[in-house]
Amino acid sequence: MPPIRRILVANRGEIALRVIRTAQEMGIETVAVYSDADRRSLHVRQATRAEYLGGSKPAESYLDIQKVVAAAKRTGCDALHPGYGFLSENEDAAQACIDAGIEFLGPPPKAILAMGDKVEARKIAMAAGVPLVPGLQEEVSEQRLVEAARQVGYPVMLKAAAGGGGKGIRIVREEKQLLEAFHMARAEARGAFGDDRVYLEKFVTRPRHVEIQVMADKHGNVVHYGERECSVQRRHQKLVEESPCSALTPELRAQMGKAACDLARAVGYVGAGTVEFLYSEGRFYFLEMNTRLQVEHPVTEMRYGVDLVREQIRVGQGETLTPVPEPRGHSIEVRVNAEDPETYFPSLGLISRINLPGGPGVRLDSALYRGLEVTPFYDSMLAKLVVHGVDREQAIARCVRALRELRIVGVATSLPTALRTLQSAEFRGGDYDTGILERIDKKPPAEKRDVALLAAAAAKFLVAEQAGARAAAAHLPGQATPRWSLLGRVDRMRRTNP
Amino acid sequence: MKYTSKIGTEEREFVIERTKDGLRARCGDTVHVLEMALVGDGQTFSLLVDGKSYDVVADVQREEVLLHMLGERFVVHVEDEREHAAHAVAGHKHGKRELRAAMPGIVVEVKAAEGDTVAEGQTLVVLEAMKMQNPLAAETAGKVVRVLCKQGEAVAAGALLMEME
Repeated sequence: MPPIRRILVANRGEIALRVIRTAQEMGIETVAVYSDADRRSLHVRQATRAEYLGGSKPAESYLDIQKVVAAAKRTGCDALHPGYGFLSENEDAAQACIDAGIEFLGPPPKAILAMGDKVEARKIAMAAGVPLVPGLQEEVSEQRLVEAARQVGYPVMLKAAAGGGGKGIRIVREEKQLLEAFHMARAEARGAFGDDRVYLEKFVTRPRHVEIQVMADKHGNVVHYGERECSVQRRHQKLVEESPCSALTPELRAQMGKAACDLARAVGYVGAGTVEFLYSEGRFYFLEMNTRLQVEHPVTEMRYGVDLVREQIRVGQGETLTPVPEPRGHSIEVRVNAEDPETYFPSLGLISRINLPGGPGVRLDSALYRGLEVTPFYDSMLAKLVVHGVDREQAIARCVRALRELRIVGVATSLPTALRTLQSAEFRGGDYDTGILERIDKKPPAEKRDVALLAAAAAKFLVAEQAGARAAAAHLPGQATPRWSLLGRVDRMRRTNP
Repeated sequence: MKYTSKIGTEEREFVIERTKDGLRARCGDTVHVLEMALVGDGQTFSLLVDGKSYDVVADVQREEVLLHMLGERFVVHVEDEREHAAHAVAGHKHGKRELRAAMPGIVVEVKAAEGDTVAEGQTLVVLEAMKMQNPLAAETAGKVVRVLCKQGEAVAAGALLMEME
């Protein structure tokens, strides 16, 4: 198989830039694609070439398989990297690439399809001996609902079969809430995925979300890069991830790693993937497999000293996997979203100022620049701050330090929430679960508010003082008339006396 | 100059003065020595409070100061003496639940009675001034405890029209 020479990066934002960076390091050319809203984006500016796709709505650009694949063919690309989101878990996109003779840097369509259907994925996992949360392995009907819930035992969870991103999920604690929750989950699933199948499983108490990074080549080799702990979530969306997970013993880690690799083998997996588990009280249960490179992959990269995008490209070129290095130290990632820290609503606007963090062990993956307009068209994630330290304590201290250096002005962000989380006793203790964010203060601590009240008054004082000084300087007696006003007088004289 | 700083319902008063040794901020019995240097771009300040260093980005938009400091983002409402006095007259005085006439005029309608529960933004009194009908609305939700004006009455600027709790 010949080496890849040119990759079409079928994405935008930080992940497009992330892929472009590795490609550049490997001497591979990149073709960026862009919508109307993204003409000025960094991925367009950093790529070798850029191809216009269409309107700002994802359906008119990044989600349009024909347009994306046509751009790849037109520009002579031999591979396509889908990033995450958009076409990354779309089996039709993978197939369209194959049909066009372009290497899709992701798993085969069959594997995407199998893992994309949550009910199908559970069946395959069970057959592969991967532990599952007790529940029904298939769509639950209204007729069987009450009986099934009794069998599994309350509390139960209703989930959309085609789900993802936390949509279509309902937790039911008592039988009398069951029917209403079922209809709501179905309606939400229909709205979000166009598929209203819902399944039912036991709701695990105090769960932690722990996932395993896997990588497979085309020669049947499958490896894993340990776990990522992703329990700091709101609305089922992750905010802080770390590796290793403080709850895992080496034995559990080995068991979970093996289960994840077994599942990847069972579906004929190729490339980078993530197997998500729920962990609770020494047991783990399969949740789902994400058939793409995850947002939080840098946590693993920092801890293993590996470039997962490079591995994806090598796999795409038909090479065998490089040996997995020994992990070292501790790594933490914080996602920076443009959102209101109290309501979590997206915050739109123009980025007027940025201070980037630096120093040892700090990595920032973003496509931010001064003047960037945060639009409503795309995901609200602006950046990922990733740190590495010799141990968890140092990594937390480093992350707090870097969070205070990182400053984004122009929109509200999740930075304050992340800072308070990392400084909380619960996070520091390491024994936390997916409910942690509900227990984090939504407002800045009192001692910071005190300084802010004074600083704001002082800033207003200084601004007024300077405005006063400027006004005084403009009216100093005996000072020559400013030249622009002289010009104005000459101009008026000319007009009245031609 | 006296400043009233407010975050949500939390409020402080500071007297800030330029002395020959620098800036001084007094809050109650506490006095802070401030040193403040503007950095290049006009919105970044290096602030020293009694020698303690803070890196601050402050966007001062009249009474609203948007602050980035200590890893947090604050929206602080700051009024100087003049603004504070103007608001007190206009019936917008913060912290107090009073409805005052924003201008001299004639009460054309009283839309709430004593004991009524009112929502934030609900019109309580309509005041006619300069041939314009001006609705005066509740700044916060609450209960009307006293009505001090009646329909057809001429009121002066700053006159107390209603009290709420």
